[in-house]
Amino acid sequence: MVLQIKKLSVSVAVSDKKIVDDLSLQIPDRSVFALVGGSGSGKSTTGLSILRLLAPGLEISGGEIVFAGRDLLKVHTDELRNIRGKEIAMVFQEPLYAFNPVLTIGDQIEEVFSSHTDFPKDKRRSQSLELLRVVGIKEPQRVYHNYPHQLSGGMRQRAMIAQAVALKPKLIIADEPTSSLDVTLQARILELFAKLRQEFDLSVLLITHDLGVVKHMADSVAVMKAGKIVESGMAATVLKNPQHQYTRELLAYAS
Amino acid sequence: MNKVVLQNNSSKLLQSSEKVSQTPFQRAMALFRANRLAVFSLMVLGIIHVAAVFADFLAPYSYNNEERTFSFAPPSKIHFMDENGKLRRPFIYGRTITFNEFHKRLYKDEIHQKYPLEFFVQGDSYKILWLVPCSLHLFGVKDGGRIYLWGADSRGRDLFSRLLHGARISLSIGLVGVFISFSIGLLVGGMAGYYGGKVDDVLMRVCEMFMLFPGFYLLLALRAVVPSNFNSVQVYVAIIVILSFIGWASLARVIRGMCLSLREREFVLAAKTMGLSDLSIIIRHILPHTLSYSLIAIMLSIPGYILAESALSLIGLGIQDPYASWGNLLAEAMSIVQIKFAPWILLPGFLIFITVMCFNVVGDALRDALDPKSSS
Repeated sequence: MVLQIKKLSVSVAVSDKKIVDDLSLQIPDRSVFALVGGSGSGKSTTGLSILRLLAPGLEISGGEIVFAGRDLLKVHTDELRNIRGKEIAMVFQEPLYAFNPVLTIGDQIEEVFSSHTDFPKDKRRSQSLELLRVVGIKEPQRVYHNYPHQLSGGMRQRAMIAQAVALKPKLIIADEPTSSLDVTLQARILELFAKLRQEFDLSVLLITHDLGVVKHMADSVAVMKAGKIVESGMAATVLKNPQHQYTRELLAYAS
Repeated sequence: MNKVVLQNNSSKLLQSSEKVSQTPFQRAMALFRANRLAVFSLMVLGIIHVAAVFADFLAPYSYNNEERTFSFAPPSKIHFMDENGKLRRPFIYGRTITFNEFHKRLYKDEIHQKYPLEFFVQGDSYKILWLVPCSLHLFGVKDGGRIYLWGADSRGRDLFSRLLHGARISLSIGLVGVFISFSIGLLVGGMAGYYGGKVDDVLMRVCEMFMLFPGFYLLLALRAVVPSNFNSVQVYVAIIVILSFIGWASLARVIRGMCLSLREREFVLAAKTMGLSDLSIIIRHILPHTLSYSLIAIMLSIPGYILAESALSLIGLGIQDPYASWGNLLAEAMSIVQIKFAPWILLPGFLIFITVMCFNVVGDALRDALDPKSSS
């Protein structure tokens, strides 16, 4: 088990309204776990609470998140900062917003190295270029010096993934990684995830609303509705034979 | 009329360069260059600053080279023709002093004493950029004669030399002061905006405390705290510290407002997921987005520092004689009688005026050039 969430509750601080309600899930080593649900179901909140980066106004009101033998909800902030980016990394839906527009791609990938390692400048640079190559960017030299807005959507997402896998994390939280891309690019990015999973030995928590994506790459799946998991199991089983009404609805609307 | 011409110019520039894709920086540069007054002001500022850096070399005398018999000597006339109408290399006459019945000094040219103007002459020794000893000056005259390009002050010191040396102090106080107060302002504003909550409350209340007092009186009060037996270097540092101490608060408030919205941007969240420390998120990811505002604010607040230093020195609380600053040079012009007999002692005021105007014009032009809405 790379990550275990036990009875996690997240609530709005002022009203005690629960966004995530007694949620438990387990992500086995080297697997892709899909967390599926509509907007507002609490799936992104679950993802962010793993890194304790909830939006102000939300608070974790109970539960445990066990990662590598430690409860992430209890570790000290300094230790948590060492886990972020190094052991658990995150890929966002829209890399155009997730990259800082005033820094080059190269700068932002190198930042992961400079905050977690003491690599000298030239090593950070060569590693970043290597990463860009690994994620399938043809001209790493050029992209390295480009600003985010100078790249296409697919390239940006690849660069974002390169940044996430930089320090070979054990877990990547991918929050709707393909939702902003067109269908052909979606397939390519999913292929890239499959390849990196082999190469870097990592697990992926895939947060998505698209069951098509789940079918492509997930090993296991949990369907969320209104902060609760309504159905979970092996991806193939759930998709073939959905038990819950909500899962059936999602399936019906999936492409 | 003038304005219309300028606008035409800028739109022309934009049209001609729009075919090639422009980075925002290039666009801003084009807009700035289209503003001729601003370009001119920038050049004037450049000249004044370069002159300040090389003051030792450009000035014929050191700041404290005095000749008391030549008190308030009027500017030396540079002659190209001698008394017989014969063309010669540029020279000045030696001068003798007599007193009239009101004990006023009268300067009279001695046509037998001619001091040719010489270039690259040896004179008062100094150190190039505080390091290499040197005594070479751009121009000067042989010993015995004294050249007063812009007249002399009460103790017969060359005003031109003292203005150049004073420029060093007056201009550097502006630049160093702004650098310090903006470092503080950016950091405090950045932290208040980024952390929000209690940190924000405390830091902003502190800012408001500073803004509460009228600036000049706070300046005087703080100056009164500084021991009076400080030497000149210590006074110089104290003035910079006091000025920066007052100046950071208003900037911090604006930066805090900008950071409040910037911290909600997704790249800040992304930076947090990468495990960056708060300080590096503030410095690397948030503050660069306030750059265009800070740049304008810097340009527009430098004049305030120059004026504040001048005001302090003018009333005798700043840089002390024999060291020169534009403020304490102007102090001699406080009496109307002096101005009547030696109007050149108003020159430091004129220089302050020019410098402050130039900074304001450049700052305004920068604001227009960096405003994304101004491209119409």
